[in-house]
Amino acid sequence: MSLNYVIAMLLITLGLYCLLFKRNLIKLIIGLSVMTDGIHLFLISMGYRTGGIAPIVTGESTSNLPNFASRAVDPLPQALVLTSIVINICITAMALSLSIYAYRHYGTLDPSKIRRLSE
Amino acid sequence: MIPQAPILAIVVPLFSAFLMPMIGLLSKRYNIDRACDWFAVAAMVGTLIIVASMAPTVWGGQIIVYKFGNWSPPWGINLAIDALSIQMALMIAGLGTLVMVYSVAYMQRDSRRDLFYTLALLVITGMMGTILTGDIFNFYVFLEIMSVASYALIAFRRDSSGIEAGLKYLFIGSLGTSFVLLSIAMLYSFVGSLNIADLGAKLAIYRGAAQPVPTILVASLALFVTGIMIKVAMVPFHIWLPDAFTAAPTAVSALLAGPAAVVGIYWVARLPYLPFGLPVGIILVSLGLLSMIVGVLMALTQRDFKRMLAYHVISQKGYMVLGIGLGTLGSVLGAQGGLFHLLNHSIYKSMLFMCAGAVLYRTGSQKFEELGGLGKNMPLTALTFLIGSLAISGIPPLNGFVSKYTIYLGGIEAGLPIVTIIAVLVSALTFASFFKAFSSVFLGQRPKHLRDIQEAPKLMLFPMLAMAVVCIVIGLFPALGFNVVGPAQAAAENSAGYIGHVIGGI
Amino acid sequence: MTIIVRTTSRLLFPFIFLFGVYIVLHGHLTPGGGFPGGVIIAASVVMLILAYGIERAQQRVSILQAEMLDIIGSATIAVIGILGILLGAYFLQNVFPLGELGKLFSAGNLALLYIGVGLKVTASILLIFYAMLSD
Repeated sequence: MSLNYVIAMLLITLGLYCLLFKRNLIKLIIGLSVMTDGIHLFLISMGYRTGGIAPIVTGESTSNLPNFASRAVDPLPQALVLTSIVINICITAMALSLSIYAYRHYGTLDPSKIRRLSE
Repeated sequence: MIPQAPILAIVVPLFSAFLMPMIGLLSKRYNIDRACDWFAVAAMVGTLIIVASMAPTVWGGQIIVYKFGNWSPPWGINLAIDALSIQMALMIAGLGTLVMVYSVAYMQRDSRRDLFYTLALLVITGMMGTILTGDIFNFYVFLEIMSVASYALIAFRRDSSGIEAGLKYLFIGSLGTSFVLLSIAMLYSFVGSLNIADLGAKLAIYRGAAQPVPTILVASLALFVTGIMIKVAMVPFHIWLPDAFTAAPTAVSALLAGPAAVVGIYWVARLPYLPFGLPVGIILVSLGLLSMIVGVLMALTQRDFKRMLAYHVISQKGYMVLGIGLGTLGSVLGAQGGLFHLLNHSIYKSMLFMCAGAVLYRTGSQKFEELGGLGKNMPLTALTFLIGSLAISGIPPLNGFVSKYTIYLGGIEAGLPIVTIIAVLVSALTFASFFKAFSSVFLGQRPKHLRDIQEAPKLMLFPMLAMAVVCIVIGLFPALGFNVVGPAQAAAENSAGYIGHVIGGI
Repeated sequence: MTIIVRTTSRLLFPFIFLFGVYIVLHGHLTPGGGFPGGVIIAASVVMLILAYGIERAQQRVSILQAEMLDIIGSATIAVIGILGILLGAYFLQNVFPLGELGKLFSAGNLALLYIGVGLKVTASILLIFYAMLSD
């Protein structure tokens, strides 16, 4: 299962690289989104159990609950990731709205040129 | 205590924020002018009453634990309130009420005021939630609520400087909160639980270096401290703060400078004890010293009113982090001084921002070169600014002197007299900077176009004078402050009591 | 948009809408719930906006109606939470009857909370698109 963790760390590094070195506001937003996707992948693959089943309690699984609980994948990180995805939607929507206003005021999407507040 | 008080302290601002758009629509149809404003103030007063009713129980020595939906910890989410939380909650509720009253007068020239109050109440909800919760992922969700609402508030007027400041704050702040999320993920993979008391119990075997600490725990602690330091704006992560506080409407700056510092400092005070028990004292002391020095040196060269105040916020937050760091190195007075300085700083910093906002509202400019001689036109504003300047420089008999003197003594008690010398020097430089600000805005020659400036509106003056009175009262009777701060500092160290109350008592 | 896009989106809209409603209502039995279901319902409406243009969409569902839907969704969540305090003992505690495992009318106030969340998410994403696409 370590391939999942390697890919997750790769995504986080790529997202961080985009956030630090790119010169377009839309690319910065994409980098932030890629980085949080890497963190979500890391979270979900932590709860994985080899040869596991989905953690949905149906009628026939209540008859043998200890067996079900020992084979089911952990559902808590999945709930955490759902909440975090929704928070990410809000941040992306707000960043895109601010970028639309920045283009109207400054005429460019380059973050090094959006600089009217002096030091 | 009002029944169900802990959850009502979070629910009342949240549901008022949900109802605010409807009140905006109704007030536009029936033509009532200020319905939104007074509804927001009523919601904040309600929150203050609810929080104040919890205070006597907590100061009697009991930790209030509230379970959500009757699921007991560690399987359910719970709220846990001890003396440290109640100090922060009282400060947020009290200062939030005064800032709301101030913004009734300050925002009356803006349109879409119902959106402003929705966002401001959401910021207050987020702050209350981060203070009162006992579950670490719940803390992350409330931190994001507070952050996203403040990104929108800073860019509220949609002018070019507000958009730029909002974008900068958004990218740096989101980076910080992603670090916190990664830290929570690593912590969960190692320990298996999300409840703070449960984490403290399971990680207690690593306290005191009895066993070697595994690498994943060190990585998790490093990411968590980095995320919190980005939010508290310590050097070198402070880049967003001056732009954000300069470009935002001043009511927003007063709201974020006072209460929002509370959240970061609350977690910095909890970090050395719960949930990690690892030593972070030296990091806190060095970051605090660096922020103090860099903050005040950059503030001396500023020519914009609000930008100078923003750099002083960084410097004063350095004092608080320094005090708490000294507390972990063995000095009780240092930790008490840090928490007391948080109490005083929120009061006088919000008051100073309100004075700057009153000047901006009447004259329309915030640069030192365009202002001057306003002491004759706005005497009460000048008086409150003078009290605030004396308080922030640590001059007796005001409250700033009491907390700074406690930090000086803490430095000597922890065996680091160099810290005391640097702190006294920074206080002297702060006094010089505020002397320059006061004399260039309120004394001296008055330009011709400022001849007919009136005094600030009464609704703005009322919170400023109330805060000035509190400054003088705490300065003359410091025992009032120590009655609040002493139990808070004891509760921060008493992690065994916290764990016992949350898990054992239920 | 061309006539092919318009006809296809008009034919597909009810099925996607129904699928979104199905995911919201079965949140306590299958994976999904309020958030993904609300996004799917909003996506079906956005597909119609992309095909027909925003002016016609604002004639059918105005900004005022979207804001009212938002307020109804959040008021549902508020009322259910407060109901726990008034009737039972704790916030968000279950006060509705629990049915049998696996049936649609079971699991207390979970389904009602998910309906509130679905309404609010739909209205919010629709408002975001209106705000970004206008003028």
